[in-house]
Amino acid sequence: MRQFLGILAVNLAGVGQRLGAVLTIVVGVTCAVGVLVSMLAIGTGARRQELADARDDRVTVTHTGARFQGSIPKDEAATLRDMPGIRKSANGEPIVVFNTLVPFEARRRVTGKRIFFPLIGLSGDLAALVPEFRLTDGRMFRRGLHELIASNTCARQFSGFELGAGRPVHGVDWPIVGLFDQGHGQQCVVYTDADVLMSTFGSNAYTRIGAMLESPGSFEQLRAAVQSNPSLHLDVQREREAVEQDFKPLNALLNFISYFVGSIMAIGATLGAVNSLYAIVDARRRELATLRAIGFRAAPIIASVLCESILLALPGALLGGALAWLLFNGLAASPFGFSFNLEVTADLAVIGVVWALVMGLVGGLLPALRAGRVPVTTALRAT
Amino acid sequence: MKYLPLIWSGVWRKPGRTILIFLQVSVAIALFGVLQGMKSGVEHAVAAARADLLIVHSRENLIFTPLPLGQLEQIRSVPGVKVAIAVDLSGAIYQKPDQKLGVVAIRPDDGWLNAFTFTVSPAQEAAFRKQRTAMLALRAVVQKYGWKVGDKVPLMSLVPQRDGTSNWAFDDVGDFTDSDIGGQGDKVIVNYDYYNEARVSNKDTVNHFNVAVTDPERAASVADEIDRRFANSSNQTRTESLLELAQQQEQSIGDLNFLIRAVVAAVLVALLFATTTMMMQSIRERTPELAVLKTVGFTNRAVFCLVLAEAVAVCVAAAAFGLALADVTFPFAARFVVGLSMPVIVIVAGVTLGAIIALVSAAVPAMLAARVQVAAALAGR
Repeated sequence: MRQFLGILAVNLAGVGQRLGAVLTIVVGVTCAVGVLVSMLAIGTGARRQELADARDDRVTVTHTGARFQGSIPKDEAATLRDMPGIRKSANGEPIVVFNTLVPFEARRRVTGKRIFFPLIGLSGDLAALVPEFRLTDGRMFRRGLHELIASNTCARQFSGFELGAGRPVHGVDWPIVGLFDQGHGQQCVVYTDADVLMSTFGSNAYTRIGAMLESPGSFEQLRAAVQSNPSLHLDVQREREAVEQDFKPLNALLNFISYFVGSIMAIGATLGAVNSLYAIVDARRRELATLRAIGFRAAPIIASVLCESILLALPGALLGGALAWLLFNGLAASPFGFSFNLEVTADLAVIGVVWALVMGLVGGLLPALRAGRVPVTTALRAT
Repeated sequence: MKYLPLIWSGVWRKPGRTILIFLQVSVAIALFGVLQGMKSGVEHAVAAARADLLIVHSRENLIFTPLPLGQLEQIRSVPGVKVAIAVDLSGAIYQKPDQKLGVVAIRPDDGWLNAFTFTVSPAQEAAFRKQRTAMLALRAVVQKYGWKVGDKVPLMSLVPQRDGTSNWAFDDVGDFTDSDIGGQGDKVIVNYDYYNEARVSNKDTVNHFNVAVTDPERAASVADEIDRRFANSSNQTRTESLLELAQQQEQSIGDLNFLIRAVVAAVLVALLFATTTMMMQSIRERTPELAVLKTVGFTNRAVFCLVLAEAVAVCVAAAAFGLALADVTFPFAARFVVGLSMPVIVIVAGVTLGAIIALVSAAVPAMLAARVQVAAALAGR
């Protein structure tokens, strides 16, 4: 151990003389970790945004096997209202909101690009189910009328979503009578009355149902009751799970790209580290041979080179993570039509550091073995 | 020419180091190739999208608001329209909820294939037109589920039938391929007449009409004329060519261009650092040899060029290898990105990039090599 520490100290003392090789390792690792962390930050930001408002005591009910399309018949929806485990509001009504979703078109303010998102028809007490809903301007839509309310994000991102503006729905302009904020959501959301929307589009089934539980623990009670009722073909999911399932394809894609690009860059950085460490070891052949000659064993030498490699990779990881944080944290990105802020979290920093450690370890292995095997006599004789 | 053996031996002076640099450049260029291939692949596919194929859909809402079937005859009467076909879209699942299929219900009128990007063999097309319950499936779907011609395929649809169930059955009569940029999703084609008759709601409506025009040059004016005919009806239309739709789709990938550029820049910075250090190290070690070269009559300039040539040889070869590597990963990545391809321009750019990396990273070492003082170097100072 004392041998190991001694050699390590000598190794590190020489860093200044081998600036080129050392910088290669540090810069290589910095770039690899920086890119990986930045790209993962897109996914983390997206997840954070999606799940920010998810509550443990809210559930999402969909038709078995079908999502997004209108498929819950009205009678099944009505039965669900009286299921056990659902919280009642102050006036004794179960807190259940039926949703019907219709694709809705808007154009981005900046690019004029067309984008689709659901227009949501509501039936039930939204304020009880979604306490974070807050009307900021105008008023709520009236039941039975062709009126819309839009989240403030819509007004910011898309043209024609100001208070009082009309949006075409099925050939007729429906006025926007209110603007609202809803928790942390950055997506554009537009609400209207479910019955009006369904009669407009000739549909008689809901797309999904949101419900508030008496407590997070009532989930099993409600699910068991729904499953044991043969007339219901419904799936009950916690809000968090439902949201995650909706975003699974996007998250999988983002993760795949991040790790794909990150891995390739890590391979590149590792190769660079191997080359630099070989150069360092070769430059010190005489020194290492001298150590062996005066009684140092091979193991501490190998360990010290490995350790040096890892210690050189670490600043790269920290620098890469810091750069990613400085450049990209909070930056708004909108890949594939979703928009959210990039988020560089501690978790990602840890992933970056682990990534760097692996690069250092793998990259240091072969050069370390060579350092341990320096043939004493020839190395000392060489000029 | 006579210098080739010299360059060759210089390259292989330290095989381990050369191989590592080679791999490093390969990996970087491979990444460049994949990222750039995504971008130009999409651009390529967009440019190849058909301008003579128009989609007539509802004005406010791409394909989600149904149009009445009655508009078909009016569209057909517009001058310049070659074929107009009614198309209705719905979703279905096969056996398991996660085995989703798009159901494209069309009317196989004469020449219907002109109005689509589908390719069907003539015999199977004839079979499809003859049988009301016939179904053509995308080739990938047929392979996935092992359907055979003559099979009765049960589909659980989101569209209820008159008998109250949502269970449909179609007769598999063949397969087709789709050349559209967005056409990779699993789907089947069925007969609109049978489908329309059997369903409960939305009868005699379609999601959109596909229109093929006689003269691609006049596609825009035909599109305007179609929209003008319905301007005063309760079902206003908007007509766009596949080319225009593809261009809109392309824009959503535009956001990723910044990302691609940033990643490529980071890769290049790291790579330049690595190659430059290695070249420096190599020149330092070879100082005595370079001095010998000069002693036997090589000019400063010749030594300079020699060192550059070595670097270019390694990096360009590595770039070519890297691009080949990228090409190998394409079938794998194609599952995530539509229309991935490597046009010549990416290959040229990749090889050029390799050469530039070599020149930039070898410039300073080559200069040092050219300035080697013979006497001092030979004396080991």
